[in-house]
Amino acid sequence: MAIVMISGLYQSGQEELAQILVKKTKWPVIGREDLLDKARELGVKIGRLETAMVKGAIIKERLAREKELYLALITATLCDKASEGDFIYHGRMGHLLLPGVSERLRICVASPMEDRIDRTTKSLNLTPEKAKSYLEQLDEDMMKWSRFIHQVEGYAPGHFDATFNLETINLRNVCEIIVSMAALPDFSSNASEGRQLENLRLASKAKLRFALDERTGGMDLQVQANNGVLTVTYPPHQEKSSQYIPEVLDNLEGCREIQCTMAETNILWVQERFEPDSANFHEVTQLAQRWGAAVELMRLVAPEREHEVSISSGGNVIHPYTKKSCKFAYTGGVEDDDPEEADDGGLTLTQEELIRIGKSGGSQIVCGYSRILDNVKSSGKYALVVIGNMFLSKGHSAQIRLTREFVMNIRDRIKAPVITTDELKSEFFFGAKQGLKLLGCLALVILIYAAVFTHQEELIAFLSGPMHEKMKWLSPIVVFLFIPIIASLYGSIAGMILKVINID
Amino acid sequence: MHELFISIDISTAWQVVLLGFIGGVLSGFIGSGGAFFMTPGMMNLGLNGVVAVASNITHKFGKALVGSRKHAAAGNVDKKMAGFLLVTAVIGIQIAVSINSYLFKSGADSHGPGDSPAANLYISLVFAIILSAVAISMLRDILKSKENAEDEGGPSMKIAEFFARLKLKPIITFEIADAKVSLWVLIGVGIATGYLAGTIGVGGFIGVPAMIYVLGVPTAVAAGTELFLATFMGAYGALSYAYHGFVDLRFVMLLYLGSLVGIHLGVYGVKVVKEKYIRVVTSVIILLCVFSRIIAIPVYLRKLEFLSYAPELDTYFQASSKLFLFASGSIGVLVILVQVIRAYLQRRKIQKTLLVVRQPAAQQNSSVKIA
Repeated sequence: MAIVMISGLYQSGQEELAQILVKKTKWPVIGREDLLDKARELGVKIGRLETAMVKGAIIKERLAREKELYLALITATLCDKASEGDFIYHGRMGHLLLPGVSERLRICVASPMEDRIDRTTKSLNLTPEKAKSYLEQLDEDMMKWSRFIHQVEGYAPGHFDATFNLETINLRNVCEIIVSMAALPDFSSNASEGRQLENLRLASKAKLRFALDERTGGMDLQVQANNGVLTVTYPPHQEKSSQYIPEVLDNLEGCREIQCTMAETNILWVQERFEPDSANFHEVTQLAQRWGAAVELMRLVAPEREHEVSISSGGNVIHPYTKKSCKFAYTGGVEDDDPEEADDGGLTLTQEELIRIGKSGGSQIVCGYSRILDNVKSSGKYALVVIGNMFLSKGHSAQIRLTREFVMNIRDRIKAPVITTDELKSEFFFGAKQGLKLLGCLALVILIYAAVFTHQEELIAFLSGPMHEKMKWLSPIVVFLFIPIIASLYGSIAGMILKVINID
Repeated sequence: MHELFISIDISTAWQVVLLGFIGGVLSGFIGSGGAFFMTPGMMNLGLNGVVAVASNITHKFGKALVGSRKHAAAGNVDKKMAGFLLVTAVIGIQIAVSINSYLFKSGADSHGPGDSPAANLYISLVFAIILSAVAISMLRDILKSKENAEDEGGPSMKIAEFFARLKLKPIITFEIADAKVSLWVLIGVGIATGYLAGTIGVGGFIGVPAMIYVLGVPTAVAAGTELFLATFMGAYGALSYAYHGFVDLRFVMLLYLGSLVGIHLGVYGVKVVKEKYIRVVTSVIILLCVFSRIIAIPVYLRKLEFLSYAPELDTYFQASSKLFLFASGSIGVLVILVQVIRAYLQRRKIQKTLLVVRQPAAQQNSSVKIA
C-alpha cells in the first residue's frame, strides 16, 4: 500500500503533481479542501483556526480544543482512506499528518518565487507586486499554522522523504520517481504498520466521539490507542463526567478494552526493560502519586534486539529509523499470551501493576532510538519524561555515557522536562544527600541572619548612614552580591522542606 | 538608628515575615511579584514609601533570580525580547527613581528625613489608579464571559487585535515567543513596565498582561520572560536605590523568610484551581489592597496641608489601613490555602483506573473492574 503525502507552499505545483500522479497510478486523491468541507459539516470552526494565525497567542491557546478536534477528524478520515488502499493526499502540511506511520511517502514540491508569483498573478488577477506580498504573507501564515497545529517547523528537511525543485526537474519525472519510491520496501506496508494505522484510527475516532458528544465535549481527555486497548485519562475535577466515557465509546469498531485513569497529568517512562518490583518503578509511581499523574510506558527496542520482540505484548510497534531492519510481523491477540513465554521486556507485567494501583496511562513499543522523539512529540503533553535503562547491550560506562547524550539530545527538542531514573531521587525525593545539603544551607542561613540582626545599627550605617555617605558605591555592590546568595540558600531550604512534605 | 529606617522588634519581624508569606502565596497564585500587597504592607508598618519600594524591588531581584531558572529550563524565556524590554525598562526605572528621589527630598525638607508625605502620596496614588484599573478590567471580563458562553472566560482581545494590525516599522521578530512586534510598541511596553516597577514595585502585573495582550506572546513565555526580565530590572532597581541609600536589607531578608515558602504554595494552587476562580480571587484581593491604600491617603494629604483634621486621627487611619490590608491578604491566602490543602488531599486519593473489557465477538457484553 502506498500513502503519498504531497506538500508545498502555495502555487508550488503540488496540486498539478497530484493530478499527474492520479492519471499515472489511478490511486484515489484527497485534498485538504475535501477534509475541510467534512470538518465544517461536523461543526469544526475552521475560520477561527485560520484567523488565529494573525491574532495573538492567547487566541491560539483558547482554540486548543478546536485544534484537537480538527486533527482528530483529519487523522480519522485519512486512516479510513488508508484502510481502503493506496491514496494520494495533497495539502498544507500534509507531510505532518499520520505521525509515526513510516509507510507514508512525504514529498515536498518547491518552485522558484518568480514562477509562484506568475501563477498567483494569473489565478488571482493581481499585479506582480501584490502577488509577491500576498505570497510572502501566506508563507508566513503557513509557518505559523505548522507551529500552532503540529508544534514543529513545517518545512524542516527532516520532515520529508524527498524534496523536488521544479526549477530543475519536470513534474512527469517527479511522478516517475515517486512511483518508483512508493514501490520500495521502505514505503510498503506490513502488518505492524497496519497496526500503527489502526491505533491512530482508533484514537482519533475516540477523540472525535468525545468531542462531538455533549456529555464529554467539555472534558480534558488524553487518549491513546494500543492494539485495541484505549487508554483515556481524565482530570479529577471531571470525575462525574467520566462515567460517560465507556458509554460514548460504546460499539466503537476495533476497541476491545478501555482503561479510564483519573490523572491530572501524564508521566512518560521510556526504557528497554521494565520490572514492577524495581526501585525505579517504586520511585516513578511514588512521584505519580504525588502529582496525581498516570504513568505511560514506552518500551524501547534497540535495533540490534528486534528479533527478541514479540508483538503479543499488546504494544504499539513503530518502525526503527532504519526501516528494513524491522521485519517481525504482528501476530495478534493479547490477553491469552503468556508473558513468560513471550519476552516483552516486562511491559505487560508492569502495565498490569500500574492498572492495579490505578496509575495506568497506556503503553507502546518503539523500535530504534530516533523514533522516541517522534513519538513523544505526537503522543501528547507530559509533565515529565523519565529515561530509564537504555543501550543494555553496551558496557556499563558506555550505557551511562550514551544515555546521558541521548537525554541531552531530546531535552533540547521537547518542551517537557526530561530526566533519567538515576536523577529521580536527587531531583524529586529527599534522601541522605539532600538532608546534608539542607543542614548545610540551614546552618549558613542561620549564621547570616544572626550576623545581620545582631548588628543592625552597623548595617544601617553602612546602607544609609554616615558610612554610606562616604562610600556610596559600596552598598550597591554588597546588595548586588548578597541578595542572590541569601535568596538561593533560603530558596533551596524552602524547596527541600516542601519536597519532604510532598508539595512540588 | 538612621531616621529613614525603622527599628525592628520581634513583633515587627513576624509581621514582615507574614507579609512576605501572604505576598509569596498571592504572587505564586496570581503570577505577579506580590508587590501590590507587600509594598503597602511595609508602608503600613511605618516604613517610608520609597524605602518600601526599594526594599521590595531588591526582594524581587533575588526571588526572580531563583524563579526564572525553572522557566528557562522549560524553554519559556525569550531572551531577545527580554533584552529589548530591559533596555527600555531601565529608562522607565530611571524615570521612577528620579521622581521618587525628588519627591522624597522635597518632602524631607519640611517633615524631616524619615517622613516624606509627597513621595508617599505619589506612590499611593499611582498604586491606587493602576491597580484599580487592572482589577476592574479583570472583573469586567469575568462578568462579560459569563454573559457570553462562547468567550470561554478569557479577557478581551481588542487591544491585542489592534496592536496585531498596527505595523509601525521597524518590526522585530521573536522566534521563541513566535511574535512580530513593532519596536515602538516594545519601547512603550518596556518604559511603562520599568516605570511601574520603579514607582510601586509592580512590574509583572503590567508586564505579563502587556506581553500577552499587546505583544501577542504565549502565556507561558510571557511569564518566563517577565521573570527573566524582572531579575535584571530588580538588579538595576536594587543598585539604583541602594546607591541612594534606600534599601533596607533587614526587611528584604525577613520578606524572603515568608515569600520563598509562600510562592511554592501559590504555584501549587494554580495547578489545581480553575482559571476563573484564580481571576476572581486575584481581582478581589487587588481591589481590597487598593482600598486599604486609599484609607491611608488622608494622612499624607493632611501632612501636605491639603486636608485639615486633628493629627491624632492619623493613628486610626493608619491602623485601619494596616488592619484592612492584613485582613484582606489573610482571607485571600486562607481561601487559596484551603484550595491547596483540598487538592493536596485529593491528589493522595487519585488512584483509579476503570477497566472495561469487551468481548470481541459481541461488543455489548462488557465487564467492568475498578482498580
